[in-house]
Amino acid sequence: MTAAGPAPPSLGRRLTSSEDGVAVLALALFALLPVVVSGYSIYILPQYMLHGVMAMSLALLWGRGGVLSFGQAGFYALGAYTMGLCYRWVPLVNPAYAGMLIAFAVGGLLAAVLGYFLFRAGVRSAYFVLVTLAVSIIAEQVAVSQSQITGGWNGMYIDRMSLTLGDAVNVSLFDDAPMYYFVLVVVVAVYACLRWLAHAKFGKVLVGIRENEDRVLSLGFDVSAYKTATFAIAGALSTFAGALYGTHAGFVAPSLGGVLFSTEVVVWVAIGGRSSLLGAFLAAIGVSFLSNYLSALIPAYWPLILGMLFLAVIIFFRGGVAGALARWTRQPATRSAGNG
Amino acid sequence: MAELLRTDSLTKTFRGLVANSEIDFSLDAGEIRCIIGPNGAGKTTFISMISGHQAPTAGAIWFKGRNITGLPVYRIARLGILRKFQTPTVFDNLTVYENTELAVLATPTPPRERYAKILRTLELVRLAEVVAQVVGTLSHGQRQWLEIGMLLARDAELVLLDEPTAGMTAEETHATGELVRRLVEELGLAAIIIEHDINFIRDLRAPVTVLHLGRILVEGSFAEISGDAQVRSVYLGDA
Amino acid sequence: MSSTAISLVTDATLLTLTLALASLGLAVVFGLIGVINMGHGAMLTLGAYFMWASIRAGIPFAPAAVLAAAGVALIGLALEHFILRHFYDRPFDTLLITWGFFLVTTEIIKLVFGTSFRDVPSPLPEAFDLGFQRVPAYRAALAAFTLTLLLGIAFVFYRTNLGIKIRALVQNREMASLLGLNIAATYKLVFVSGSFLAGLAGALIAPMFSVHPYMGMDFLVRSFFVVIVGGIGQILGGTLVGSFLIGGAETFFAQFSTQTFAQTVVFALAIIVLRFRPEGLLTPRSGQ
Repeated sequence: MTAAGPAPPSLGRRLTSSEDGVAVLALALFALLPVVVSGYSIYILPQYMLHGVMAMSLALLWGRGGVLSFGQAGFYALGAYTMGLCYRWVPLVNPAYAGMLIAFAVGGLLAAVLGYFLFRAGVRSAYFVLVTLAVSIIAEQVAVSQSQITGGWNGMYIDRMSLTLGDAVNVSLFDDAPMYYFVLVVVVAVYACLRWLAHAKFGKVLVGIRENEDRVLSLGFDVSAYKTATFAIAGALSTFAGALYGTHAGFVAPSLGGVLFSTEVVVWVAIGGRSSLLGAFLAAIGVSFLSNYLSALIPAYWPLILGMLFLAVIIFFRGGVAGALARWTRQPATRSAGNG
Repeated sequence: MAELLRTDSLTKTFRGLVANSEIDFSLDAGEIRCIIGPNGAGKTTFISMISGHQAPTAGAIWFKGRNITGLPVYRIARLGILRKFQTPTVFDNLTVYENTELAVLATPTPPRERYAKILRTLELVRLAEVVAQVVGTLSHGQRQWLEIGMLLARDAELVLLDEPTAGMTAEETHATGELVRRLVEELGLAAIIIEHDINFIRDLRAPVTVLHLGRILVEGSFAEISGDAQVRSVYLGDA
Repeated sequence: MSSTAISLVTDATLLTLTLALASLGLAVVFGLIGVINMGHGAMLTLGAYFMWASIRAGIPFAPAAVLAAAGVALIGLALEHFILRHFYDRPFDTLLITWGFFLVTTEIIKLVFGTSFRDVPSPLPEAFDLGFQRVPAYRAALAAFTLTLLLGIAFVFYRTNLGIKIRALVQNREMASLLGLNIAATYKLVFVSGSFLAGLAGALIAPMFSVHPYMGMDFLVRSFFVVIVGGIGQILGGTLVGSFLIGGAETFFAQFSTQTFAQTVVFALAIIVLRFRPEGLLTPRSGQ
């Protein structure tokens, strides 16, 4: 027993102290931003934050669980279309509430069914990646072909939501700032939940599955159930985020669910640090901002630069930005769990 | 003594190759049994069927009176049968603490008791000093002990140890023997141990089952086995 | 009615062999050294563009195809030598790296060749008139070529020393290295061959479709399903069977809907097959 007093920090606690600090700082910055800045940034940021939620769901699935998915954008688009359809078809209740709820449920259910179907049969992770790739292709195709419902290539328009409470309260979120804060609150709630999950028993078992699936299975954990649950959570969250995206952007087209965007999500998470929820979130926002800015400036070169950045991260910085930062601030004896 | 594990006519064939043939095996609670035999005798296949990693072609396995034949790996582990693999199967990128923690998480131990249980286990397997160290940096012997420790932390009733002393120094081997005996005496574990190291088996003073070409050749104490002519010829290939 | 059936069969056969050609490079790499080359589609696209450039430079068809394939093989060699070979023990990383290769290559293609569709003229523009159906001569020739290629590879595999060495490596890597087989060189050879085949496929397929930066994408996922359905490691039989099933199913469903929707249905079916036979249809079930 070491003479040092306090318990050696487990996987959870070591990551907590510094990442939590950064998270609080980031929250403060985001909360204060609309006071200082206005205009396009405040308009667009909620969309990027919702991209960030999708990224966080992938970070849980891939960074923690070791299950890579090239199909999260498919769920995202599903959510957006769901929101649009709710505005078209749902009477009486606030369509946005219905949209958020249905999106979450449908996304989670679909992911659970697909996950159960595949993981229970022991389909290898590498094949699962290909299946998710096929899923995003299928998603895009369905969106195009079911054009009576989805509007096909022309896309679908979606109303901007309002917050309602019965007949008494009706807060339109049409303006930038109110929408911004609503999304911020949602995002913080999602982050808090995911962070709790990642540090609880569930998250620890996921890491074990990522590190050595055989051992986890031989200890008595139902690995396929864990993978299915994680995939379902990731699916539900991505779809939910997509629904909010839909009502924010006001428009959805099939390409939102397609392969190119799906793989962009992987790029964000890889760059930000796949094991870090916060890293993935901030990278989604950062890269999206950079994309927006630079693709206007150097439209031909930006995707190439992004691709090379992705390659560089995979080859040299497996832990992404978060992992690199964590490594530089740790003592060598207790290495961080941020990479790998 | 209560019978803990029993196999009835357990058989495993792989596309024409017979790995195990009609093995009738019995183990009591708190008993240690060593399984020896030349390479290809079917030792690992045998415990693979018990742990659930391989499904038997024929025959049945009974654990505490319950038929566990063909159950999935994780269900068998939950029943208390835990396996230590031939190559140390631990979490190399995590710390010793985190490795053991995962084993404890697989038990119903309440959160506030987990820490104490982890440390108790690590003291049992002599790894308490390296609790915060990353497992990949440990010695081979230490990684084997860690794996055994994880099985203990998981509240095993029957441990299947596949060549636990492979790659160990003489001193480590001796320590492992002590460890196993202490665990059986203190915790009432039962153990099936596949081994090649004669000294280790002798020091354990446990009954031995000899497998050859997928069948049980002979069973008995170490003294009986080492004096057995059949066993000699199987190992030395007498004409 | 029978003429529709025959034309269905002809279509299916042509598609099967086209798919088989496109998937071969992937089957070789995936099956022999377990690398999931997500850049396979990009290599195909590159082959098509090199072909276009060579034809424009006045090089005759056949040499141009070989040149294009060689060009892609060279790029594959560079990728393997400088990056990929350090990651063979981490299959997920090779997947991501080859995906990064796809991203970068596609962007470079866009920069160098532009994004507008290109055309590679067919060397055999005529068509066979079978009465109820016109079969383009080029497609038929390509199908024949693919069969010959498969037979040629079968010969190398099963009748030459090189083939034996490669199969030994696949069966048991440790043993092969103990026997003096140069693992690194063999991996290189396999990856370069796979790249060559992908480039060749792109070059030969180019006259049939418009050449554009994402043309390989179409073939990437289908190729993966061809290989998985047919069976990893069953390079020849698996590729043929997989192509037949995927291509045949696509042709069949395309009778009732659009090509792209048919592809979608086929993907869904392939996923189902994957779940029930993860090792592929041709691979015998293991004892588990």
